[in-house]
Amino acid sequence: MLEISHLNVWYGVTEVLRDVSFQVPSNGIVALLGGNGSGKTTILNALSGLVPPRAGSVKFEGREMAGWAPDRMVKAGIVQVPQGREVFSQMTVEENLELGAATRPGGRQIQADIDEIYSLFPRLKEKRTKRAGSLSGGEQQQVAIGRALMARPRLLLMDEPSVGLAPIIVEAMIETLVGLHARGLTMLIVEQNVGVAAAVAEDAHVLKDGAIAYSGRAKELINNPEVLASYLGR
Amino acid sequence: MRRLLSPRNLIFALFVTLAVVPFLANKYYVFIANLVLLYMILAVGLNLLIGYAGQLAFANAAMFGIGAYGAGLLQAHFGVPYWLALPSGALIAMVSGTVMALPALRLSGIYLALVTLAFAQFTLWVMSHWDTVTFGAGGFSPPRIDFGPLPLTQPNGMYLLSWLAAAGLIWFAWNAMGSRIGRAFVAMRDGEIAAQALGIDLLRYKALAFALSGFYAGTAGALYGGVLGFVGPEGFDLLQMVLHKAAVVMGGLGSIMGSIIGAVILVVLLEVIREFKATMEIAFGGLLLAFVLFQPRGIVDLLRRKLGWDERLHYKAGPDQTAPSEPTPAATRKPAE
Repeated sequence: MLEISHLNVWYGVTEVLRDVSFQVPSNGIVALLGGNGSGKTTILNALSGLVPPRAGSVKFEGREMAGWAPDRMVKAGIVQVPQGREVFSQMTVEENLELGAATRPGGRQIQADIDEIYSLFPRLKEKRTKRAGSLSGGEQQQVAIGRALMARPRLLLMDEPSVGLAPIIVEAMIETLVGLHARGLTMLIVEQNVGVAAAVAEDAHVLKDGAIAYSGRAKELINNPEVLASYLGR
Repeated sequence: MRRLLSPRNLIFALFVTLAVVPFLANKYYVFIANLVLLYMILAVGLNLLIGYAGQLAFANAAMFGIGAYGAGLLQAHFGVPYWLALPSGALIAMVSGTVMALPALRLSGIYLALVTLAFAQFTLWVMSHWDTVTFGAGGFSPPRIDFGPLPLTQPNGMYLLSWLAAAGLIWFAWNAMGSRIGRAFVAMRDGEIAAQALGIDLLRYKALAFALSGFYAGTAGALYGGVLGFVGPEGFDLLQMVLHKAAVVMGGLGSIMGSIIGAVILVVLLEVIREFKATMEIAFGGLLLAFVLFQPRGIVDLLRRKLGWDERLHYKAGPDQTAPSEPTPAATRKPAE
């Protein structure tokens, strides 16, 4: 579904991604792991059109999309749940979900999609008129995921979904991601938490200094002390 | 009763009341009611830009002036009839407003405010000093507007035009802010990165916000020139900008209803303190400051709580206004999260 080849990204005079290549199969979940500054988020931002690549190819469903603007990426079906949730805190839960459909014309279909998000996250239905900024971290993560789903993605990019959440909330979030996968959604997840990656992803790539240092099955990764010690500081 | 006092019903009642003013009131009150209509257009247009789209711009008075000068000069220099000069003035202001979106792509907050303020001062300088085109600091009187074959005097004809423009532009703003345009504006205001991640084209929507705001201010300006029968630079200075901001902030940022309330209060206050013109800048500056400090969500927020209004996509009440029975955010948040 997604094929990245020899991707290079620079911030000014600094090369932050070097010759990155990997694939995300249709209905697959792939995890990107690595320490701070290894380039994980930059990959997601390049896929969202927030950062233009200097070289390389991004093919999604056979179409070359490297350098496309963010709105074209979203319309093509690639939607990101940004790091730190970034919910619109002044807006209600329902308005946040509505804003997820910002690029879609209004109408009944949007309301039907909101109802579907509520069936996925019943807690959000209870709090639909509350300000998103007043919700707990776990609930805000549900808002952020629900809001991204409102754009009807075919590939969901998730940037550190577990960061800042209590362990019990992380478990619930893993269940959510597995549930979304079961519905046929393809996902690319950036994580620092190896446990989360191993629980949800099939394949994983470990980044170090802007390049892929290790690729393999996610569940094997957690049992590979060399990778954990060399690249993830465990 | 609460349903009866909904924002929609109140706006409808206000416009019905304003529609009968020329039949019941003398010329002075017709003029004041006309100013209310024009400040409603100005406040709603500015609110689209700063309250909904979150762009801190200070060029609204300049756009107001560009609309007035655009329409007036087309009449004075080229003999363009008013029915054509009015939309032309509004369109010239709209184009100028769209140009202002270019710095907004790179700047935000106080830096954008400074650039737009510089643009406003430059516009004022051009109005005051380009004598051969703008007639200089003394201003000029556009030709008299003929409403024939309609049996209307100039004041009543201008009042009718202002009423129609205000009703149309408020209706448009109300619907646009409830549509995907409003959703995109609010998303852009509350988080540019998150908005981009949702596929909102910042260039397009910033340009649209500035263009709409310019069109509203330009329409009000073109009407203002017709209402006064005179166009001069002193009407579009920094005080005018303070007045527009005061109407928006007093009424309520990010609320169409708030702008309408703010405009009504502003014009009434202007009339009350007209005798003390020298203190006007201090009075409105102080009022603006007081609202920012003590009632930052404006009068509309008080009414929302009293009357249970629900205007979509407006700024929400903060934790201080959460109902007592509800747990506070701090209480609901788990320590580990």
